[in-house]
Amino acid sequence: MKSGRREILAAALLASLALPTGAAAADAAVDFDREIRPILSDNCFACHGPDENKRKAGRRLDTREGIFATKDGVTAVVPGQSDASALIQRAISHDPDEVMPPPKSGKQLTPAQIERLRHWIDQGADWQGHWAFERPVRPATPAVSDAARVRNPIDAFVLERLEKEKLAPQAEAEARTLIRRLSLDLRGLPPTPVEVESFIADSDAGAHGALVDRLLASPHYGERMAQMWLDLARFADSDGYHDDTPRSMWRFRDYVINAFNANKPFDQFTVEQIAGDLLPDATVEQRIASAFHRNGPTSSEGGADANEYAAKYAVDRVNTTSTTWLGVTLQCAECHDHKYDPFTTREYYQLFAFFNQVPENVLERAIQGAPLMAAPTPEQEAQLGELTGRVAALEQHLKAHMPEAPAAAAVELNKQLAAANQARQEFAKSLPQLRVMADVPEPRPTHILVRGDYRSLGEQVSPGVPASLGKLPDGLKPNRLALARWLTRPQHPLTARVMVNRLWQMIFGVGLVKTSEEFGSQGERPRHPELLDWLAVEFVESGWNVKHMLKLIVTSATYRQSSKISPGLLELDPENRLLARGSRFRLPAETVRDNALAVSGLLDRTRAVGGPSVKPYQPGDLWREFSYGDSADKTYVRDKGADLYRRSVYTFWKRSILYPSYAIFDAPNREVCTARRPVTNTPLQAYVLLNDESFVEAARVLAQKVSAEHPEDFSKQLHRAFHLALARPPSAAEAATMENLYHETLAVYRRQSEAAAKLLAVGDSPPLAGADPASLAAWTCVANAILNFDETVTKE
Amino acid sequence: MNLTLSPDFHQQLTRRAFLGRGAFGLGTLGLSSLLQENLAANTSAARQGGVLHYVPRAKRIIFLFMSGGPSQIDLFDPKPKLNELNGQPMPASLVKNERVAQLQGKPLLCMGSRYKFARYGPAGVDISELLPWTAKMADDITVIRSMQTEAINHDPAVTFMQTGNAQPGRPVMGSWLSYGLGSNNRDLPAFVVLVSGIGSGQNLHTRYWGSGFLPTVHQGVQFRSSGDPVLFVSNPPGMSPEVRRRILDGVRDVNRQKLDAVGDPEIATRIEQYEMAWRMQTSVPDLMDNSKEPASVYELYGEEAKTPGTFAANCLLARKLAERDVRFIQLYHRDWDHHDQLPDGIAKECRHVDRAGYALVQDLKQRGLLDDTIVLWSGEFGRTPMSQSNTSYETYGRDHHMKAFSAWVAGGGFKAGGLVGATDELGFSVATDRVHIHDLHATILHLMGIDHTKLIYRSQGRDFRLTDVHGHVVKELLV
Repeated sequence: MKSGRREILAAALLASLALPTGAAAADAAVDFDREIRPILSDNCFACHGPDENKRKAGRRLDTREGIFATKDGVTAVVPGQSDASALIQRAISHDPDEVMPPPKSGKQLTPAQIERLRHWIDQGADWQGHWAFERPVRPATPAVSDAARVRNPIDAFVLERLEKEKLAPQAEAEARTLIRRLSLDLRGLPPTPVEVESFIADSDAGAHGALVDRLLASPHYGERMAQMWLDLARFADSDGYHDDTPRSMWRFRDYVINAFNANKPFDQFTVEQIAGDLLPDATVEQRIASAFHRNGPTSSEGGADANEYAAKYAVDRVNTTSTTWLGVTLQCAECHDHKYDPFTTREYYQLFAFFNQVPENVLERAIQGAPLMAAPTPEQEAQLGELTGRVAALEQHLKAHMPEAPAAAAVELNKQLAAANQARQEFAKSLPQLRVMADVPEPRPTHILVRGDYRSLGEQVSPGVPASLGKLPDGLKPNRLALARWLTRPQHPLTARVMVNRLWQMIFGVGLVKTSEEFGSQGERPRHPELLDWLAVEFVESGWNVKHMLKLIVTSATYRQSSKISPGLLELDPENRLLARGSRFRLPAETVRDNALAVSGLLDRTRAVGGPSVKPYQPGDLWREFSYGDSADKTYVRDKGADLYRRSVYTFWKRSILYPSYAIFDAPNREVCTARRPVTNTPLQAYVLLNDESFVEAARVLAQKVSAEHPEDFSKQLHRAFHLALARPPSAAEAATMENLYHETLAVYRRQSEAAAKLLAVGDSPPLAGADPASLAAWTCVANAILNFDETVTKE
Repeated sequence: MNLTLSPDFHQQLTRRAFLGRGAFGLGTLGLSSLLQENLAANTSAARQGGVLHYVPRAKRIIFLFMSGGPSQIDLFDPKPKLNELNGQPMPASLVKNERVAQLQGKPLLCMGSRYKFARYGPAGVDISELLPWTAKMADDITVIRSMQTEAINHDPAVTFMQTGNAQPGRPVMGSWLSYGLGSNNRDLPAFVVLVSGIGSGQNLHTRYWGSGFLPTVHQGVQFRSSGDPVLFVSNPPGMSPEVRRRILDGVRDVNRQKLDAVGDPEIATRIEQYEMAWRMQTSVPDLMDNSKEPASVYELYGEEAKTPGTFAANCLLARKLAERDVRFIQLYHRDWDHHDQLPDGIAKECRHVDRAGYALVQDLKQRGLLDDTIVLWSGEFGRTPMSQSNTSYETYGRDHHMKAFSAWVAGGGFKAGGLVGATDELGFSVATDRVHIHDLHATILHLMGIDHTKLIYRSQGRDFRLTDVHGHVVKELLV
């Protein structure tokens, strides 16, 4: 049974790759969920689907009951009899009043689609629910003929498909490629030359796994993972709407980094972010986690209506929760029943009812945006404890010795106590304030907002979850905590699938379900459905262990393949969905910058993870150009010293004017939850790498570094720079190109000493004392070139 | 223009996407994004983002956006009745249950305009004394008095005007057109943004020219009046174009070697984009340099056009961008948000925009560009017929108003010398020929050769349009 199903899938995949589908698969059993539902969903559900208000003729084709029902003597589908089925009769009709879909819908079934519908009906019309809403079951690991290529079950699933396609995977990538790939994937930073050489020298069979363990244990792992998660959490340092006032949410960012570093089980991570404040005896950390749902954009615009914005904020929370954990887009249901998936408007507002209970200052700027909490760092907590202790000790002392103490001493003690109290208070005031979640003590009634309009109150609803996905656990108060518990039940059909798919997307560039934000019937079906289910079950059974899943993925043979592309394979599988090669794609925005900082040695490594957001180089007047006339934060005041070189995850994220180099490299402004960034390739990206002060300074400092380490020896300098940037030596041709560039530009700067001095003055970091300016300027040009190589900004 | 799909469409698509996935590829079809994001979802013929559905009347748009919301009552839609009733409450039948912004909880009093109006052009359009130059071109433009929007605060209303939706996250009109039609220019972006009125008025968000869920290659590129004309376009201090070219040659040679070794077409794209970047290093500063314009140009646009960053200078740049076939040219002019002291504020802004707008239209006309260039002048909403802050003719103000406001259009297949729509006698609501923003969008797309119901992009499992599920082409606006 199992292997039969896989053959069908493989055959269908072949067919779909070859385009057009049809003849080859005609006799094979038709898979309803994979082949038929998408046709119905695309062409029929808009008028014959879940949306009750738009349903025509009372006919429903999205449920088992509906599709087989006889109504007014007409049956859409008569199993085994396609000729007797109205679905087919109407599809092939030439009468414009009869034919379905109707001409004015602009939709039309193709002959191939009608043929598949016929086959499905004639084969008995087997109906199944949408795959993503059914609980995943761990499939058996398939047997493959080339078992030597299987390092773990992931490879068995991938290889089985490749064998069906008569494709061979690529050989393993070189060790130096692998360590750079792993390091960028798991730490978001390149490996150092020492790390590269010791990995190459390590002939132990377990070297790869040991390296993965080291990388996962690095504190930079959490920073890298946060980069991904903060897009979902729409984390930012400003309000978003209207004048976009700065806000202070960085303690939440640090929570995310620390949670990934501590490998907090994903179920716990989920519960804390959705409902940390509602946990019994919630800790400071758990309350900080609840800031997840205070990250959304807010407005303080004069003349705004608080009710309108309160509704907007709750909508943002529903949409963010569903995209992040359910991987389905519910937002259509804000105004009308979902057209394709079984989600009603009523159910939308049942979710809304979890999130509109916050006693918030709706139209206040962030800093007054109660509910707030003092969110001390662990060090600050300790310091606060000390100051409190000192007050207590003095009070104790006074109480104990007051009666017999001489007046002067009492005065002195009182003075000390007052000072200690003041010190404590002042310190407490200086603690970072964080917007967090809370619920009003008496739940507010929730009404359906008719067509999403906050002024049109419809039927009253109580908190609940979509019926097609199960129900809230029994015995729990229906609040956010119950919702979080429901999301993290081991049998939940979506939560685990959505997260493992996200990890896959992070590593391979494209998820097993490409539409990682949409697992509903309008999303893409997984290319390796059994692998996805296997991973989802493994994730839950591992105790929602994120590091375990990542380790499985990056130790697989699939991951370890070379990313070389043969022309034939490119034609057949341009997006590498079959995984017959390693993935090769441009680094994310933050990593592009972090990589340049690390390669040059500028990256700030003096501090542990966390801390307030920082403001690195940015063209001076950028904020002023767009800021509100009289707003206090008109000018971007860039930081100095180490803050200029902190990892990009700490960069101040202003929503209305996103840090330009990140925006240019496809980072979202985080006004809405974002599950997937595009990967574009534009001339503006060239400008960032060529001319942005951060990158020019990185080139200069890289030039200084190699010049200082290997004076007067261009070849050694170049080797060193290549090893730093690319984890490999230059080829002879590359070396010749770069040497030529060096000599040409050296000749220019010999003639133009002023120009050399200007170039070497870019950036705050100190110049190299005693160096020849012309030579250093020429080397800066070489380093500028190196930082612009396609390979430098690409994960190979 | 390519109006049909060839049988080997898929191969073309693939190849084209590999070779020209860049922001500014040469194709007339919005195909790059199709492959990148939506191959599976968007290949049915009804959903072809790039197919032109009609013969286009316009090739490009200049959108003169008046940020803050100009008062139509004082510019294009005179209401003598308001002057009669000045200071008296608005009829409850008009304002009951209607949304106001900063007037929430305040008395709603009639406020007449202090300005004189006269009739101009074949349609006899009333135009305020504040806009003498605009009045002179009443033969060229069509005034719409019946504009309507759905958002009453600046940020959502600007977002609505640009994207057809008040919620952030959707693509703006310029991005839709870049996606649908691509670029006509190999040296400049398809969608360029110019900002004036810096340091005053409502703030701007870069999302106002953002591509939303469309690939970021379709976002607007701001050309700036100070500092780098495009962010990071200038070489660092001490690096001449000669040195830059040598570096680029070195990068190109190494990238070519890499392309040969690994065969990833993305590297070929990167090589092309670096060459495009190099060309733009020349083309953009050339374009932004107004100093070589002849004296006759300044006679037309006025002296203010000599100052970079003014609306007048930006209008001149807009003409130059139109000449270079940039698809969507978006000007933002700030500081129309006149809640109080309206007379001072509006007079100042009219001085900035009136002559320059006139000059732009005349300039386009003289150069034969007006026929296929749309010029659109509009704010995100209008202002109330009710006073805000006081009812003195010297110092009155007006609140935001979404139920009726005015805009004008010219060129590109729009009727010349026309007047569309009317409001009630107090200017509160649209009385005839409502032009909702969705309708304006539908009409603009129509003139660009696109059926607004068929320019579609699938995101998050749903098909999206600029006009959402609304919009009608306004035939009265067309030639």
